[in-house]
Amino acid sequence: MSTGSGTDVRRLEQLSALADGELDDAATALSCAHWRGDARVRATWHAYHVIGDVLRSDDLATDPARDAEFLRSLRARLVAEPVVIAPQPIPWLGRQSDPSGVRATGRADGWKVPGAVAAGLVAVAGVFMLTRGVEPNAPGEVAVARADAGVTAVPMVVGTRRGEATAVVDGSASGPVPVSDRILIRDARLDAYLAAHKQFAGSSALGVPSSFLRSATVDAPRR
Amino acid sequence: MNASDADAALVEKVRLGDVKAFEMLVVKYQRRIERLIGRMVRDVDLVPDIAQETFIRAYRAIPQFRGESAFYTWLYRIAVNTAKKALMELKRDPLVAESARASSRDEDDETSRVENELSDGETPDAVLASKQIAAAVNLAIESLSEELRQAITLREIEGLSYEEIAEMMNCPIGTVRSRIFRAREAIAQRLRPLLDTRVGERW
Repeated sequence: MSTGSGTDVRRLEQLSALADGELDDAATALSCAHWRGDARVRATWHAYHVIGDVLRSDDLATDPARDAEFLRSLRARLVAEPVVIAPQPIPWLGRQSDPSGVRATGRADGWKVPGAVAAGLVAVAGVFMLTRGVEPNAPGEVAVARADAGVTAVPMVVGTRRGEATAVVDGSASGPVPVSDRILIRDARLDAYLAAHKQFAGSSALGVPSSFLRSATVDAPRR
Repeated sequence: MNASDADAALVEKVRLGDVKAFEMLVVKYQRRIERLIGRMVRDVDLVPDIAQETFIRAYRAIPQFRGESAFYTWLYRIAVNTAKKALMELKRDPLVAESARASSRDEDDETSRVENELSDGETPDAVLASKQIAAAVNLAIESLSEELRQAITLREIEGLSYEEIAEMMNCPIGTVRSRIFRAREAIAQRLRPLLDTRVGERW
C-alpha cells in the first residue's frame, strides 16, 4: 500500500495504534470502517500482525496464502452464524475519546480511582457529622448556645477552651463578630429568634425537644 | 477483562454485532492459535479445522465474555478445549481420520503424494514462503534506525504499552506511536512483495 498521501498515512498510523490497543472508541470505529471498505487496509492489518508474530518467533511465519484462505473459509462459516449482540457493554471497556484518537493513558486515568475513594470518604464523613450533630465540646469547632430568652442586650461571651482566656464583648455591637477556631458564641439575638420559632418546630436546631411534643399512649378498647 | 487488554475496543465492537471486528481479531490471532493447536494435535491436517472451530466457538460465546481475563487468554482456553474435544473424538473413532486420509491417497497420483505427506500447511512452497517471510522481517529489523527498532521491539517482544515505552525512551507518547508505525511500515514495505504481489486482492 502506498503511504504517499496524508490520508493514507493517518489511516495506517491509526491502524498501527489499533493493533496495539492504543486507540479510543471513535478512532477504532473509523479503523474498522476502513478495514471493511479498503482491501489495502486489510492487507496492511495482516502484514502488521505477521511482523509482530515473526518478531516474537520465527515459527509464526506462515504462508500468507494460507492465512487468506483461512479467513475466507471462516467468513463462509460466520455468514451462517447469527449476529451476536451482547446484552450490555463490559464496564471497563468505556474509554475517553481524544481528538488524536489516542486512547487515554493509565496516567491520565490514574487519579480517578483514588479520587472516587476520597469523595466517598468525604461523603461518609459528611453524613456522619449531620446525623451525629455538632458537639459543643469538640475541639476545633464553633458552637452556638442559647442564652436566656428576653434578654435583649446581653454580653456575648467569646471564649476558648482548654483553659484559655475568656473575653467579654458587648452583644449590642453591630456587624459580624469575627469567629476564630474553638470559640463558643452566645448571641442574644439568635436566642430570641430560636425561642420565637420554637413552637413551630418539632425540635430546635440545637436538638432541644419541643414543648409541644408530648408522649401519648393509646389504649385499645378490649372486646 | 483487565483494563490493559489491547483487544478491548475490538471485542466491544464484536459484542455490539460487528462481525468485521471479529475478522480483525481472527487475522491477528490465527497463527498463534494454529501453532498452539499444532502442538497439541500433531496431525497438521486437523489444525486448520480445529482452529476454525475455535474461532466459531469464540464468536458464539463472546456475549458471555465478561472481560475477567484478556481476550487472547480466553481464546487460548477455547482453543485448548476445542483441541481436547477433537482428540477425544479421534480416540473414540480413530478410523475416521485415517480412512479419510487413505481414501484421498488412493485417488491421488504419485506427483501429489509428497504434498499429502507434508500436509496442506507444509507443502514445499508454503515452507519456503514461511522462511522467506521470517528472513525478510529479521533483515528489515536489522536495517531500522536504533530508535525505531527499540520502539517496535519494546512493543512487540516485551509487550509494553505506549506509555511505558514513552517513559523508557524518554519521549512523548505521540512520538512512540509514530516510531512504532514507521517501523512497521518500513518492515511491511519489504514484506509486501512476499505477502501478496497483487496487493489487496486476497484480503
